[in-house]
Amino acid sequence: LTLMESFRQKDSTERINKIKAALRIYQDDKEHTFEVKAIEDSVKLLQTQVQLEKDYSQPFSGLSISSTVYKLITINQSNRATKVRGDFKMPDKRFWWIKLRALVEIRDWDGVATL
Amino acid sequence: TGAHLGHTSLNIDSLRDLARKELVNVLDSDHGVEKIYHLQPGPLETDCKNLIYICRPQVNYMKYIAEHIHTHTKDSRAGSYTYSLFFVPRRTALCEKVLEDEGVFGEITKGEYHLDLIPLEDDVLSLEWDSTFKELYLEQDTTSIYYAAKALMRLQGIYGLFPRILGKGDYSKALCDMMLRMRREMAVDDLDASQTMQLSQNIDSLIIIDRSVDMVTPLCTQLTYEGLIDEIFHIKNSFVEVDASLASAASAPPGGGTGSGTQSSATAPTGKKKKVPLNGGDKLFDELRDLNFAVVGGLLNKVAKRINADYEERHNAKTVPQIRQFIVKMGGLAAEHQSLRLHTALAEEIMNYTMTDDFNRILEVQQNVVAGIATNKEPEYIEEMINKQAPLVQVLRLLCLYSLVNSGLKPKQFEFFKREILETYGFEHIQTLENLRRLGMLTKQMTTKNTYGLVRRSLSLIVDEVNEHAPNDISYVYSGYAPLSVRLVQCVVQRGKDNKQPGGPGGKGSGIAGGNGWKGFEDVLRMLPGRTFDETQRVDDGQPRPSKRMNGQPRVSLVFFLGGCTFTEISATRFLASQEGGQRDFVICTTQILNGNTLVDSLVQKVPDLHASA
Repeated sequence: LTLMESFRQKDSTERINKIKAALRIYQDDKEHTFEVKAIEDSVKLLQTQVQLEKDYSQPFSGLSISSTVYKLITINQSNRATKVRGDFKMPDKRFWWIKLRALVEIRDWDGVATL
Repeated sequence: TGAHLGHTSLNIDSLRDLARKELVNVLDSDHGVEKIYHLQPGPLETDCKNLIYICRPQVNYMKYIAEHIHTHTKDSRAGSYTYSLFFVPRRTALCEKVLEDEGVFGEITKGEYHLDLIPLEDDVLSLEWDSTFKELYLEQDTTSIYYAAKALMRLQGIYGLFPRILGKGDYSKALCDMMLRMRREMAVDDLDASQTMQLSQNIDSLIIIDRSVDMVTPLCTQLTYEGLIDEIFHIKNSFVEVDASLASAASAPPGGGTGSGTQSSATAPTGKKKKVPLNGGDKLFDELRDLNFAVVGGLLNKVAKRINADYEERHNAKTVPQIRQFIVKMGGLAAEHQSLRLHTALAEEIMNYTMTDDFNRILEVQQNVVAGIATNKEPEYIEEMINKQAPLVQVLRLLCLYSLVNSGLKPKQFEFFKREILETYGFEHIQTLENLRRLGMLTKQMTTKNTYGLVRRSLSLIVDEVNEHAPNDISYVYSGYAPLSVRLVQCVVQRGKDNKQPGGPGGKGSGIAGGNGWKGFEDVLRMLPGRTFDETQRVDDGQPRPSKRMNGQPRVSLVFFLGGCTFTEISATRFLASQEGGQRDFVICTTQILNGNTLVDSLVQKVPDLHASA
């Protein structure tokens, strides 16, 4: 599977290319609409992460969507976190859980109080 | 090693002896072993000129060995080495190919060390082939069936032919067929040997249970003492690795004797790990291992009191003979004391874990799921776990259980959880989810027919009133849920009991040789995946099976769990034996010991960390 190969690529751009290749294979198959959507999202995520790494000079790639949002909150980038949340249409419930845990982690009790 | 448990009439020692003798044969080609190294990547630094490798036939090991040889040949000072390689249990064409490709094939003398079934206990034999489950069911790699068949043929060579082979599941059938074929092949190769093969005196049956028949059981949290130790610390090859401070508490000189103060005071949690053996040689552990954890605390307390009382006896020892008697007893007491320390410490750790909210909520969800009590709470809790980013293995374990029991998730639910998991744990788990789907562990609901529900009712897998202190049914091991796999074994062995059929000459439990087998349970078995079979093996001269049976010797059923079994299933099987009142013993064979965590973990897609190189 090309997809698995892609995860072995250590470099982000390499990985995106491989995933796109895998995506084409999946698209040929009507059975896998879910997978297609997921892979598209994963490409989007990697691209977002590359941008985030540029902006905050911190490693992001390899994290899941939730972990990305979590990390953004812990480095006090709540607005950016909310944006990522919107980009991936994250359910409210999960977002608030993440936010709560992240705020507790950085001991931002004011933030917790205003939730 | 290996104090006899006094449970099994099958003399496992002959198997042990065989293994030992073969090891000597293997090593005999050398003049004594100078040093033992663990096989690792990278160059091997050694002064020895004769190297013997003993390893599993795995490609990465071959690469290590090739690397060793390459570095040796490059280094001109090194002189010449001789290499021998012994595959455990068998050589494979793939490994030889790798050695050929590496250009070292000709430099190695190759052989096999047929250590297949390793006796973990007197009643537990394991191939210790950890990857069996994944190989067999996901990759459809049947190598392990071949190993299993070979191993069982060897058992037959020692103990005689198994008169009857019963089983459930497609791979079980494959294993049975392979054994029958090996026997026919043997007859072609060596007629004499095959004709001298007698039917076994003690073993009257082999029951093969395929893991795919019962996927529910391993996903449940084990609640026996040994099972919980495995869940929390992970028992490997009957050793458990615990924090060094915990272990040293156990090995500190008992009785607060000479100068133990300085040693034991320095045992704050160091983070260092220490290996502690766990086996039937430890009498206290032997007593505790199969019990539901709920009663372990009380028992430990009792034992502590008894040991204390025994120590106190020294005050009564007035005369010289009395004192001498006490001194003799002291040695035993000290050992007992030490094991008490270990198990109290272990039990305490387990308590800390079982007291947590998470543990109890997971357990509650599990119990509701297997009992088929349908509420909305269960999926909600799983969702909450994902939102809290609980370990993926834990989430999947519960989700798979939920899916298995309900013959799949509702389409909407299925998509929802898949998305939640991918977005929370990473997109690489597309593969993880695909693995689980292929195994039927996490699927979309196709029918509304609930197979598990029917099976649960007809085999009464859920028992409401469980007495953990004085169990009367195997369901005590999961505090209310009877493992399906062992229930099936029970069907074969104890039949006639509920049907009120007249028992054979041996009274209850004489079903197997008598020939009822699966009869009466066909309906249930049809609902479970895989084929059901019942084969009889005869000796060639066509004579009926020998009626002579060593008097007073219980008959033995060999239970083979293909694809692995849990400690709890072992406990439940032992409990079956105890119900037979000495009429029947069980010897458990398995490809490996597993639990829900190791099982699910083997299916999780691993991804190298992007930042390792960044």
